[in-house]
Amino acid sequence: MAMKLKQGRTIDALMEFISSGCKVYALHRTDDTYHLDTAPQWEGNKHTLGFYRPVEPLKSVMFPPRQSAGALLQQTKPDPCKGAVAIGVKNCDLAALKIHDHVFLDTEPIDPYYNEIRQNTLLISCDCTKPCEVCFCTAVGDQPYPKSGFDINISPLPNDKFVIESGSERGKKLLDSCSDLLEDAGQELIKARDTARQIVYKTVADQAAAKGLDNDKNYQKAIIGTAESDLWERFAEDCVECGACNFVCCTCHCFLLADGRSATGTPARVKQWDSCLYRNFARVAGGANPRKYRAERLYNRFDKKFNFFKKVLNLYACDGCGRCIEACTGKIDIRDVLKEALDES
Amino acid sequence: MKVNPYAAIPATLKNIIIETSNITTFTFRPEEPIPFKAGQFIELSVPGFGEAPFTPSSSPAVTDTMDITIMRVGAVTERIHALSIGSKVGIRGPLGQPYPLDKFKGREVLIVGGGVGLAPLRALFFALIEEMDQYKKIILRYGARSPADIVYRKAVSTAWGKPEVDLLLSVDKGDESWRGNIGVVTTILENNKLSLNIHNSVAVVCGPPIMMKFATIKLLERGYPSESIYLSMEKNMSCGIGKCGHCRIGPYYACKDGPVFTYDRIKDEPRIWD
Repeated sequence: MAMKLKQGRTIDALMEFISSGCKVYALHRTDDTYHLDTAPQWEGNKHTLGFYRPVEPLKSVMFPPRQSAGALLQQTKPDPCKGAVAIGVKNCDLAALKIHDHVFLDTEPIDPYYNEIRQNTLLISCDCTKPCEVCFCTAVGDQPYPKSGFDINISPLPNDKFVIESGSERGKKLLDSCSDLLEDAGQELIKARDTARQIVYKTVADQAAAKGLDNDKNYQKAIIGTAESDLWERFAEDCVECGACNFVCCTCHCFLLADGRSATGTPARVKQWDSCLYRNFARVAGGANPRKYRAERLYNRFDKKFNFFKKVLNLYACDGCGRCIEACTGKIDIRDVLKEALDES
Repeated sequence: MKVNPYAAIPATLKNIIIETSNITTFTFRPEEPIPFKAGQFIELSVPGFGEAPFTPSSSPAVTDTMDITIMRVGAVTERIHALSIGSKVGIRGPLGQPYPLDKFKGREVLIVGGGVGLAPLRALFFALIEEMDQYKKIILRYGARSPADIVYRKAVSTAWGKPEVDLLLSVDKGDESWRGNIGVVTTILENNKLSLNIHNSVAVVCGPPIMMKFATIKLLERGYPSESIYLSMEKNMSCGIGKCGHCRIGPYYACKDGPVFTYDRIKDEPRIWD
């Protein structure tokens, strides 16, 4: 059942209740953007649900940039995650978890490090209310509000009104336990929520359309069809191989298993984010490298996102968050690349 | 699989056999058995330094020790070659898919090796001769750069030369003592050096990429269907369990779906020989 706040109750009170005793990942507004903040509790004067996603992808919570993978020569368990809550998660980040769940959990053996954090992190998602100008989720089949994958979703409406829904058994139990804060939302508020969602959807769809993209486009066919095209060389000319697009991407999952020693001298290893744009990403010890050239590596990135994952999971590994557009040092715009690939194929 | 698939089983180096100037066979005794099937690989780590993938070269029937034949080519193998008897290492595995021996049964099995590529094929060879009567014929064609570069030299020239095994070696460049064939490995795949019943034969190839490429071309010319040519693909297999993303070949990960692929599965993917 969809709920709303009771008269006189605040969203801060609800967030404080939900996050009680948990480590909190929440959005923090700085200058003209949002960052993902880590805090011991919800801080009403600092944290916000946010109009759109933060700079840092949600994957950095479940799959941190550099994470211990345990001792090398003995079986150790991951450090227990005693309970965390991610608040204000937008649908692009939520949808990206399908990719990470597939990689780390759905195929044996499961990754115990991802699993520990994933299972113990409550996901409080939130509709996008003012998308940023690089958002194009509608063009890759998503929408700027969650339909599934959350524990609790919040749809902010004008005048501090909210529609609050559970999306899991865990979320339902939690909402049931705060009956002094919530009551039935009523049809009128749900209708207002649906209208607001349509308006935001149209905003994103219009800005994607202005870049020549919409959700009818077959990106897989476009990528396969341009394998031999010189478009990859043209775009790769601007790539400086910094890997920023991979690191801010909500779906990229590649990592290095790096060896070293713990502070006590025990052989230990870490999982560390890696970038497929780096020259030696696929190189083997003998020196052979199937992707020697930058254009091949750029093509590989798109092939992985729009062909590989479409084949193995029937999903694009791009949720239109637009972070790579903001992060790219060479100003390569994924929308322009896709548009050219569509035009050429 | 263990709770933590990134952790390795400790193992001790028990024996070292120098095969050539840069190839050595190491015998490790893991603290617990690591039963594998021919074609599967392991990740061998030098604690605190790094890890690399190798295919065991010993018989899959032997579980208390494991032979791994390693060429010194990079940072990790350099460290491995510097190990001494008693050194501790880590082994993760077995990983990947084995050769589908059930599909080989009742057929001729042609094994084509080049250089250190004979190492994984040695494990396959041992598995095949364990149940020799199940196969029509075992044919081994092996090429090395020179007589001094032949691995398992003594075994190849004696124990492996069973009458029921059709064995032929070739070197790119001979010396005074060499009486065998001279030429790249494809020269011993020609009609006059290799008699085949193509319609009831499978070919298994492992070696340097350039050798695999030309051996595959030759086998196709000889009439092998692409689904009967099994290739060991050397890719950057880091995690070994299909998660880290490094070893992708089209829709596959070499570590999880391979490392052995039939040619028809990968022939349309870009730059498979690099």
